[in-house]
Amino acid sequence: MSQTTVPDERAGRLRGAAAGLPRNLTGSQKLMVFVLSMALSGVANLVLEIVPDVTIGPVDVSVSYFVFVPLTLVALLNPFWAALGAPIGEVIFVDLLMGDFSGLAEVEGVIQMFLALYIAGSLIRNPRNRIQIAIAAVTVVVIDKALSAIVDLSKVWIGVEDAEYVEGLPESILLLEGIGFGVDILISGVLFGVIPAIWLIPALHGRIEPLLGMRPRVPGEPIQGSAPRTGLFVAVALALAVASFLFAFLEVWEVEFGVFEPEWLDTYGPGFIWVGIGAAAIAFLVGVALVQLSRRSRDREDADTTRD
Amino acid sequence: MSRKQRDVLSVEWVKLELIRTAYATRGGLFARMDPRMVLAWYLLLAIVPWFTHNLVTVIGLFVITAASAALARVGPLVLGLFIIGFVGDFFWAFAAAWLFGGDAGTALALVELNLKLATVSLASIAAFVSLDPESLSTGLLAWRAPELLAFGVSYGYRMMPILFEEFGVVFTGLRLRSAPGPRGFLGWRALLRWGTWAVQAFYPIFLNTAKSVRTTVESLETRGFTANQGRELRISQLRIGVLDVAVVAVTVVAVVGAFELGAVVTLG
Repeated sequence: MSQTTVPDERAGRLRGAAAGLPRNLTGSQKLMVFVLSMALSGVANLVLEIVPDVTIGPVDVSVSYFVFVPLTLVALLNPFWAALGAPIGEVIFVDLLMGDFSGLAEVEGVIQMFLALYIAGSLIRNPRNRIQIAIAAVTVVVIDKALSAIVDLSKVWIGVEDAEYVEGLPESILLLEGIGFGVDILISGVLFGVIPAIWLIPALHGRIEPLLGMRPRVPGEPIQGSAPRTGLFVAVALALAVASFLFAFLEVWEVEFGVFEPEWLDTYGPGFIWVGIGAAAIAFLVGVALVQLSRRSRDREDADTTRD
Repeated sequence: MSRKQRDVLSVEWVKLELIRTAYATRGGLFARMDPRMVLAWYLLLAIVPWFTHNLVTVIGLFVITAASAALARVGPLVLGLFIIGFVGDFFWAFAAAWLFGGDAGTALALVELNLKLATVSLASIAAFVSLDPESLSTGLLAWRAPELLAFGVSYGYRMMPILFEEFGVVFTGLRLRSAPGPRGFLGWRALLRWGTWAVQAFYPIFLNTAKSVRTTVESLETRGFTANQGRELRISQLRIGVLDVAVVAVTVVAVVGAFELGAVVTLG
């Protein structure tokens, strides 16, 4: 399976500098990983723009994204910066450039994709293990699509709860969402996720990192330049997930106001929309605080290493 | 949804469109303005439509952005795509409302929602098409956006056509070196071959891009991008003139006017 002599088994925790290179990334290496991920995801999305979408009835059977491109980067390089770069690259390169920018909905997509990619990248402990790669590729699609499917279903559910609606609609929407989810996992997750990734990731492992001046990831090694404090990070990730729902629901509320129950606005007043904006502001502040925190802790680490 | 209409078009067209959108400024109103004020103007018009449910106000806001797009001299291609997408959205909204047993009220609500979306996207077209990438990223920096984002915007606009061209070359090379095969039922063999090439082309693209990204980042460092003074150097060129203040003031007055109009006039 592997072409090198490095055994795949994890031989205890690796500490300190391996192969004479420090494990932490420098600022410019982070920028490199971010820009690389941004550029490659941008190219992948542009290529997808040319591929025609095929729709069979109400089910969309097109490729939603080339999962293997960002997955390769989160598997081989720092998952945090690579996962951050990929959705931003899509927004900047495709949506802004092609004049297809949709405001708040983009924020929702960026958060969902970032979470999915970061979790998938953290799942891969050994970039030459094809089973781990396959699991991670499916995970990206499952997390991303499940989040948006839940949003879609909730839209219908909220609409159905109070308004007289067509009989059997929830069932049909559930069925359509289910079919769409399955098709996405099959096409985006397996056909353009697992199959290319199990070839591309081992092929690029050990070849792309030296070009960026980095040491290739050793199997079993903790993630390079990992996220600050796991517990805190999970909490923030959850908060971000909730925030992404709020962004999605800002859009739904608009529909709700107009279509299903106009008196809803009278009951709660227009002030209710400020709840959503407040939540977004809180998410933003948390993000800023997290960046400050990580910067400070990194400075401390840097100070420690220079003292050593 | 407006993306779907472009899918039938060719690689070459997408490439040309990219280069055109990125580099061809037609010298409209916003191209002469300070990027900070253009961004502020965009934010104003992107947020305001979500605070009203009055159809008259929404139509007023739509007229404001349509006038701005005309003043920004948005190219016919981008505008045409926008209109196609817009009309398509309307059509699908009506079809969905009719299918699920909606009445005129449902359709009207959907019209309102679509008008809001159209207002926001027209504002973004007017603002982002007329700003050249360099000043857009300077404007983002000035508003204290993360440096990574500001850099990403200017890098994206500059490099995307080159990267895309490179992908095309690699893809064509793979195609040339492969033997032609049978098409198969519904052309599935041809589809399979195309898919395989598209995936295989990414291997050299990954390595090439990694190399060029490293060169870019290192040359940026030698030019002081990561140093703290980089921001000040870039922002110092910005000047807010009479035109900027006038445009934003007129827009604010027009927006307030639209809200007032909505309060006075009732439709239907």
